[in-house]
Amino acid sequence: MDRVLNYFIVSLRGAGVPVSVSESIDAAQALAITGYGNRQVVKSSLAATLAKSAAEKEIFDDCFERFFSFQAQTTAFAAGQENGEEQQPGDMPIPGIGGMIRDGDLGGIALAVRDAARTADLQSIRFFTQRGMFTARILQALNLDQLDRFVADLYREGSTGASAAARQLEQGRDALIDMVRRFVEEQYDIFARESTERIIERYLWDVRLTELEERHYERMHFLIRKLVKRMNERYSRRRRRAKRGALDFKQTLRANMHHGGLLFETRWKKKRMNRPDVVILCDVSRSMSTVVRFCLLMLYGLNEVVARVRSFVFCSSLLEVSHIFETCPVAEAVERLRTGEGLDIHMGRTDYGSAFWDFTNRHLDAVTGKTTVIILGDARSNYGDPADELLKKIAERCRRLIWLNPETPAMWGTGDSEMKRYIRLCDVVMECSTLRHLERLVRVLVRIP
Amino acid sequence: MTDQTGKFETVDKVNEGFKSTGYICSTDIATTVYLAFHLGKPVLVEGPAGVGKTELAKKAALFMDVPLIRLQCYEGLDESKALYEWKYGKQLLYSQLLRDKLDQVIDKESDLGESIRTLHRYEDIFFSPQFLEPRPLLKALQEERGAVLLIDEVDKADEEFEAFLLEILSDFQVSIPEIGTVSARKRPYVFLTSNSTRELSEALKRRCLHLFIPFPAPDLEREIVRHHVPHIPDLLERQLVMFIHEVRKLELKKVPSISETIDWARALILLHAEGLDRDLTRKTLNTFLKFEEDIRTVDEKLFLLVDKALKETA
Repeated sequence: MDRVLNYFIVSLRGAGVPVSVSESIDAAQALAITGYGNRQVVKSSLAATLAKSAAEKEIFDDCFERFFSFQAQTTAFAAGQENGEEQQPGDMPIPGIGGMIRDGDLGGIALAVRDAARTADLQSIRFFTQRGMFTARILQALNLDQLDRFVADLYREGSTGASAAARQLEQGRDALIDMVRRFVEEQYDIFARESTERIIERYLWDVRLTELEERHYERMHFLIRKLVKRMNERYSRRRRRAKRGALDFKQTLRANMHHGGLLFETRWKKKRMNRPDVVILCDVSRSMSTVVRFCLLMLYGLNEVVARVRSFVFCSSLLEVSHIFETCPVAEAVERLRTGEGLDIHMGRTDYGSAFWDFTNRHLDAVTGKTTVIILGDARSNYGDPADELLKKIAERCRRLIWLNPETPAMWGTGDSEMKRYIRLCDVVMECSTLRHLERLVRVLVRIP
Repeated sequence: MTDQTGKFETVDKVNEGFKSTGYICSTDIATTVYLAFHLGKPVLVEGPAGVGKTELAKKAALFMDVPLIRLQCYEGLDESKALYEWKYGKQLLYSQLLRDKLDQVIDKESDLGESIRTLHRYEDIFFSPQFLEPRPLLKALQEERGAVLLIDEVDKADEEFEAFLLEILSDFQVSIPEIGTVSARKRPYVFLTSNSTRELSEALKRRCLHLFIPFPAPDLEREIVRHHVPHIPDLLERQLVMFIHEVRKLELKKVPSISETIDWARALILLHAEGLDRDLTRKTLNTFLKFEEDIRTVDEKLFLLVDKALKETA
């Protein structure tokens, strides 16, 4: 049973439940105590030791039902069997799996297939392209060629009884192949899901956000949530560490007043790491929309790292959208930005000049000496006035000006790109086209110049 | 110990035992409690509000016949509230009262260095167990016969506290710098409950058995209602549970919990109801719905809901 349990745990991991070694030991111990008599009890004990959240429970239930089901596969085979039996049972000795086929020994066949799968090392299957190979290997381990030879011999014999038996065996053989194929398919589902997932994940870290396909959005949101969580954890820990330091004598005296001036409790001076106020200006023209989406998704998640975000979007004109993020969840808010629902914005040609003009005239008070201003855009202003003197005004007012450009640096300054002109005014200029770049942005944000 | 082992001989015995204390549990719950006893592991209980997470711990204490020690978590809970605290007042008072004695101990003639050396020999008096105020965690370790330790709503406590809990839950001992290490006289049976207001750390989850209690299936809930309201007519009980299950499917601010199902059943009994009808239901909605909006939502669909409940139990 231990080996079965091991396989089951491998399959759980494959489906996305992170099972640690200590948990698998717990599971084995739990089974040793409860025994295997009652399926429901086995399921409950495994669930208690292996799946540790409501979401994991759901995956667990699904996996358990699939892993410990033997009927689904054999029924299809039984159908093939019945057909065979109608014709003729046949009495001659048939070697190996053929005998089981003739006798309709479904349990035996299922066991033989599982054994063969073990010989073929089926649990190492990782890619869907390997399915054919593993099917062939298992069939080989089942000595199918031996059966084939036997069937051929029967046909050659020519008597009606023999050819009927041969036909029956052939049908059984086809059912068997079918069953093995399905078995491999199932096991692929169980064991390989994880690695495919991991490959996609690695790909997503480096794919250009502008080229991201819509079907990956869900997964991308998940990755960003993970990234945000990690960043929040890392930088809040750093802030906490910065707290330890010198004794704060004033605070200590005050805290110990009620002990009659005896100093029991100590208070320490706190060093606060600054959490930047962020003002972000996003170019929301068609080419930029995915980058903006994921950048905002991340920024609004970073509540431990970033104190406050005010966001503006612009295309031909500029508009504040902070209120949308305040009223609905982030994921929903970015979705609303994408559809432009209820936004009073002019989606004409991108015009950086007029966007800066709008900002300096209407919202410049949003920028103080503590603010970090982030501009997210490709700086392609359609040959309009770049208005770099306005940007200079913003740059002088804020603490730091960061420009994120989704284009590769080689493209900056070509055609209608005004990037070269803006670069001199910014404190930090970064390419920002992949998830990895977004991660780097966080590090830049917390580093205090 | 031996009598406890008897109670925990099989999963079924646990199930029966809990039933006798008035807690009807599913196989999941019984198995997990059974395993927790045999593996000596804490149980982390999650689930929607009002499915009886806290009740489970209480009934476990009743079942095992050991005291229940409860630690309610909240933001800002720290070691001094959870583990132990020195009785500062008593320390101060004693040092005042014993001033004369202290004078005697410190020879008036001796110099400062000498006095401090002398005092050093006595200082542990003021940091001895007599001056220690045990808080729930320490209390649980000190119980002679073992205890059920309920750490309620652990998700409300800070992450630092969670890390601190880890230490206790893995070794069942704490070190008090002035006294030394205190280890459990008998391992307490630990239940942690969480409403999932935030994700608990992986490390904590790894050390616990995990039990997710969903709202019970209709059959189980009917059994629970029957147990708590023994005189309920069969038809009413079936209709009522079916109705509650339909209501739980709606989008409500607060879905009715098991205890509210029971309250409602009691209310209907008081009104001598034999079966469910629309009028009666409308009048008693407020026994299991606690928000004006929810009542309105259900009221709008009342006709459909009651109809469905009646039809499915017919």
